[in-house]
Amino acid sequence: MEQRNVDRRSFLNNLGVTVGAAAAATAIPVVKPASAQSPAAPKGKIPDTPLKFGHMTFLTGPAAVLGEPSLKGHLLAAEEINATGGILGKRKIETITADEAAGTDANVKELRRMKLSEKIDMFTGVISSGNTPALGPVAEELGLLTIFVDGCTDFLWDKAVPNPKFAFRITNIQSADGVTCAVAAAQTWPEAKKIAHIHPDYSYGRNAFDHFNIAFGKLVPGTQVVSEGWPKLGTTDFTAHITKAMSSTPDLIVSSVWGGDYVAMYKQALRYGMFNNAKFASTIAFGVAPHAIGKDHPEGVIAGVHSNYYFTFPPGNRWPANKTFVEKYYKRWNEYPNFQSDGAYHTLYMYKTAVEKANKLAGGWPEEEAIISQLEGMYFETAAGYLYIRPDNHQGYKDAVTGFSKNVPEYQFQILDPNRMITIPIRNITAPPHWPKPGSGHNDPTATYNWIKETWPQVT
Amino acid sequence: MTIFVIQILNSFFYAAVLFLIAAGLSLIYGVMRIVNLAHGALYALGAYISAWIVGSAVGHALEGNLGLAGMLLLLPLGAVAIAALGALIEPTLLRPLYQRSEEYHLLVTFGLLLILEDVMKLLFGRTPLSAGAIMDQMGSIPVGRLIYPTYNLFVVAVGVAAAIGLWAFIYRTKFGVILRATSQDRRMAAALGINVSRVYVQAFAIGCFMAGLGGAVVVPAQAAVLGLGIEVLILAFVVVVIGGLGSLQGALVGALIVSFVRTAGIQFFPEIELAVLYLIAAAVLLVRPTGLFGRA
Repeated sequence: MEQRNVDRRSFLNNLGVTVGAAAAATAIPVVKPASAQSPAAPKGKIPDTPLKFGHMTFLTGPAAVLGEPSLKGHLLAAEEINATGGILGKRKIETITADEAAGTDANVKELRRMKLSEKIDMFTGVISSGNTPALGPVAEELGLLTIFVDGCTDFLWDKAVPNPKFAFRITNIQSADGVTCAVAAAQTWPEAKKIAHIHPDYSYGRNAFDHFNIAFGKLVPGTQVVSEGWPKLGTTDFTAHITKAMSSTPDLIVSSVWGGDYVAMYKQALRYGMFNNAKFASTIAFGVAPHAIGKDHPEGVIAGVHSNYYFTFPPGNRWPANKTFVEKYYKRWNEYPNFQSDGAYHTLYMYKTAVEKANKLAGGWPEEEAIISQLEGMYFETAAGYLYIRPDNHQGYKDAVTGFSKNVPEYQFQILDPNRMITIPIRNITAPPHWPKPGSGHNDPTATYNWIKETWPQVT
Repeated sequence: MTIFVIQILNSFFYAAVLFLIAAGLSLIYGVMRIVNLAHGALYALGAYISAWIVGSAVGHALEGNLGLAGMLLLLPLGAVAIAALGALIEPTLLRPLYQRSEEYHLLVTFGLLLILEDVMKLLFGRTPLSAGAIMDQMGSIPVGRLIYPTYNLFVVAVGVAAAIGLWAFIYRTKFGVILRATSQDRRMAAALGINVSRVYVQAFAIGCFMAGLGGAVVVPAQAAVLGLGIEVLILAFVVVVIGGLGSLQGALVGALIVSFVRTAGIQFFPEIELAVLYLIAAAVLLVRPTGLFGRA
């Protein structure tokens, strides 16, 4: 392994980490983003039969506060597209929904049912990292075009579907969460050496734990994990976990607890003085529907959004795609979008754009393979910035963001401070294409973990 | 030492909540032989109603004028509402099924659980509700270098009071005698002139009240979130499996065991937090299949 010694500041500069309102959409694409190209009249004869889409997300349970915004984003895009006559001006979108809370086995059956008996044209949605590795292979087997909104585990492309043909995913890959959180924490609190962890005990929590540690260890020498807590997903009593974390007198507490669980956790942590005794960084605290976070939430903590999107950023008129998206979403649903809303909304527009481009090439309603070839390698303008679909693994990449919590008078809930957002070019924190996957040459948790371990210098 | 004290207090807090839920579950089973799968959902609904009354509805209407005492008085309304709901559920949904086998009880109460989950989502939305103002106003007490929320001690006190009250009610009042008699032999009780139907309604309502009270006291400390009842139902079953289904003492001892073991697991063996409770339940079932205090 190559050993280089660098100081933290120059390394963070090399990573391209930027802070503040100015850092929007740093990954300037060489091609014009797809949505900016004006659609011409469709070529050839287009059937006017409706398109049937299946959307699966958490509609019940504590994850609904994160998941239902996905359906709302999807429905908003479908309504907008239908109002203009449908895709290619002819085919309107019909959506059938499914509740992801039914459990992985039931979800797999539901996907088969949607394809075989409802004859859906595309499948989308899905929040949990426990579900995409089960649904991805089935989508491939059914030959069903699938764009996962989330369920972002690296495992999906590393192991479950190593050579995807029909399955895509548009939120940032999961390892980016832990790494982004680590980079932000190392930049903000480089003196933090003793780290306590509280993570939900399943793949997402394990992934956040691993990637935070490998990246933070590279950036801050001499760190140690002084406490681990692994609450069950769905737990609302965190008193013992909080006390355990505090018992180790950590400098920094890192957590990937999310959804309703996180709301319950931060309220308890407040009353135990947890935020007064240590710094706090989360990978996904503000990923829930924004209004679920009260003004009582501690200010100035790193409150991640799954490395994806928060509606106050890019602020103002700096990135019009965000401004108009937030306005339209608020007008329709009387609330603000979260990253799932952004993902689900732009999934439909990305599909629409791919169909239009394929139509331009061949005329008529394009074959599925033609749509897929347009999705592969697509640059797309979303509310969060440019999204790039990597052709080799069908994964969407956009610059990772996280930020600091702040109360402002304009909102009834706490927001991420748009003037203090941290943005990191995604290519600098995820494994490049063709980096060896787990099981081929190494047995680390993910390709990105191995890539960081092997190639990042150790900051001294 | 500080941590030790706080973790013990945490365990008592959690045990108090678990006892309130498990005692209701056990009482209903003890008297009516119904395994109420909707019990956790009733607990969650109690939490939602209390949070809605204290945190949203009255809280906003009487901003600042309510005071701590006012809020604490409003809090049990969630439990009262659940008791009233219970008095409605028993004669309509459960009474027709007493003659049938247990599978029907499970199906109906499981269906009720699903319905109640959707009702909560419909009524209160998917955003968590909280009644945190109570907790904030009660402040916290210093324990060594750390602090401990005063409200959690109040919850422990409620749990202790509920245990004593329920015990006195069942073993020291005439209604308690009738309840126990009905539980032991329904036909004989009916032959002696006891209105068994009324006893059933009352017992079910009391059981529901306990569940609702559990939800009401927990909500200022946490938050009412969707799915709250499912997690808790599983833990309540672990409690009654250890303590013995139908036994009040069993619910108390089971709640203490589950809570202390869970806390010890979190503190010392975080990796096996999930497994350790089920291991204990399995061990108890091997040694005493009816639970520590259960009747065969």
